[in-house]
Amino acid sequence: MSGSANVGVHVDHEHPEVPGLLAEFQAKIDSGQLIEADDWMPAAYRKGMLMMAEHHANSEIVGALPEGEWITRAPSLRRTLALTAKVQDEVGHGQMLYRVSQDLGKTRDAMLRDLITGKTKYHNCFNYPAPTWGDIAMIQWLIDGAAIMNQKTLADGGYGPYVRTMRRINMEEAFHFKSGEDMVLTLMSGTKGQKEMAQDAFDRWWGPSLMFFGPPDKPNAHQLPPMRWRMKTVTNDDLRQRFVDRFVPAALDLGLKIHVVEKDDRGYVTSKRPDEKIALNNATGHWEFTQPDWDEFFRVIRGNGPCNDKRLALRRLSYEQGRWVRQAILCGSTSLPPAA
Amino acid sequence: MPDLPEHLTKPFVNLLLAAADDKLFLGHRNSEWTGLGPILEEDIAFSALAQDEMAHASALYELAGTLDGRSADQLAFGRKGAEYRCAAIVEVPDEFDWATAMARRLFCNHFDVLRLERFSHSAYKPLSHLARRLAAEQQAHVQHVDDWMVRLGTGTPESHRRIQQAIAALARIAPQLFEPVESQDQLVAAGLYPGRDQEMYGQWCREIEHVLGRAHLSAHLDAFNPEDRGGRRGVHTVHLAAMLDEMCEVYRLEPDAAW
Ligand SMILES: [Fe+2]
Ligand SMILES: [Fe+2]
Repeated sequence: MSGSANVGVHVDHEHPEVPGLLAEFQAKIDSGQLIEADDWMPAAYRKGMLMMAEHHANSEIVGALPEGEWITRAPSLRRTLALTAKVQDEVGHGQMLYRVSQDLGKTRDAMLRDLITGKTKYHNCFNYPAPTWGDIAMIQWLIDGAAIMNQKTLADGGYGPYVRTMRRINMEEAFHFKSGEDMVLTLMSGTKGQKEMAQDAFDRWWGPSLMFFGPPDKPNAHQLPPMRWRMKTVTNDDLRQRFVDRFVPAALDLGLKIHVVEKDDRGYVTSKRPDEKIALNNATGHWEFTQPDWDEFFRVIRGNGPCNDKRLALRRLSYEQGRWVRQAILCGSTSLPPAA
Repeated sequence: MPDLPEHLTKPFVNLLLAAADDKLFLGHRNSEWTGLGPILEEDIAFSALAQDEMAHASALYELAGTLDGRSADQLAFGRKGAEYRCAAIVEVPDEFDWATAMARRLFCNHFDVLRLERFSHSAYKPLSHLARRLAAEQQAHVQHVDDWMVRLGTGTPESHRRIQQAIAALARIAPQLFEPVESQDQLVAAGLYPGRDQEMYGQWCREIEHVLGRAHLSAHLDAFNPEDRGGRRGVHTVHLAAMLDEMCEVYRLEPDAAW
């Protein structure tokens, strides 16, 4: 699974910055040069980049959970191996992004503790349930697909360590997406039961996929610090439209139907109707679609989604179960093996 | 087709399945940790080991399938409980305890290297070739678990206590790895599984004692009692059925479908 760095960056302007340095910094960004960890940067930029990288790292390791639950249930040896490797990649993304965050001034342990105590957040889409194998196919297809779209633009950003990490991660995400596509295709060319499984899962994941890019932008998004400082380079709404333009025709080709759904508290669909807005607008060249339920989005982000508690509880269990192991390594005379 | 006497085909398939099943369920148990390991770096490393085990299992199932007529997936997912040939030590859950996970790997990995060594001298060439290919990765697995023994044994008093406890608990069932499959003596005599169980057992004990000595740990290992009927002859712990139910949850929805 994949995270998005789509976190609202709240920059406070209390800290007075040396005006010359700030102008120099902005000029560097505008000329397309990358900012490095040791370079001077405004305190708000450091804070914002840390928030973004940390949120992204959190998303990778929480994102590993819904799919991780299915490793032991994957229906063939090939799928078992691929899914294990995929979840392992996501943990690897988390590890790389925590390193980027560490260099911005926060220890890994502090980040993990803030995650499990709910002080920091992770990507919203991982608060939805994955009750069938079809959900695993849809997560890899839609959510990894959305992540690639987002992360490709983040790889054009201005902060060197983050940009380089995005480039590395994106190569693996492309692989996840391919395998997701293959899983969906296999289900949709399978038995009646498999097709229904895929459609039901698609109905559960279409909304969260549209929400993946974050809420609609403020009108002045281009002037706000995240874009002015190239922390992000494309607005949420533009990314969402790109996603729709790519995935609506792909879904229709596969024989999937796009629905507007209502869900219960557990994230299960209780009613659905065809999304009648779905159509290619020949004037704009873009596909029209119904916006997801943004009230639901804000409800889930505040911690009241179907799986928020479950995901955090599992991360907390992992943190607590591993404590004695980490202590043994810190106190012992031998050191950790190098990262794989 | 290489030489394999007709009457030894079934025992030989069972020997291959014993190795494949050990690896499949060890990999399965270890894969439960992916995403939840005690340290991110180790999470990644441990997941790679789980994947190796499952990939090795897959290769062994393929080989068994050439003799048995079933596909690797049918062998992995489609048998009844009593048809599996794994040992009890890969069946028990680790209750999300890193010490148990590591102690299990200690016993299994050292056993596996020795078994692969015997496989690599098998008169059945497809097996000897495969075993040589898998042996290099197995060596790395042994190194990994040996390092962890030292790390935990010499870490903190708590880590020492926990790993010692896990080793003592699993040492009781670990020797069941040595239970022979049906007609194993004939496979040995025919050169299909060359070497002697007794020597292999001695070597296994020495290796484990050596590692544990470095880690200030110890294990009491009894020889396998031939009277005990266990996993190699299809008698399993209750945990295997539970694991199979989970593993086959999706597969059994449509066993003939492609997934
Ligand atoms: Fe991914
Ligand atoms: Fe990822």
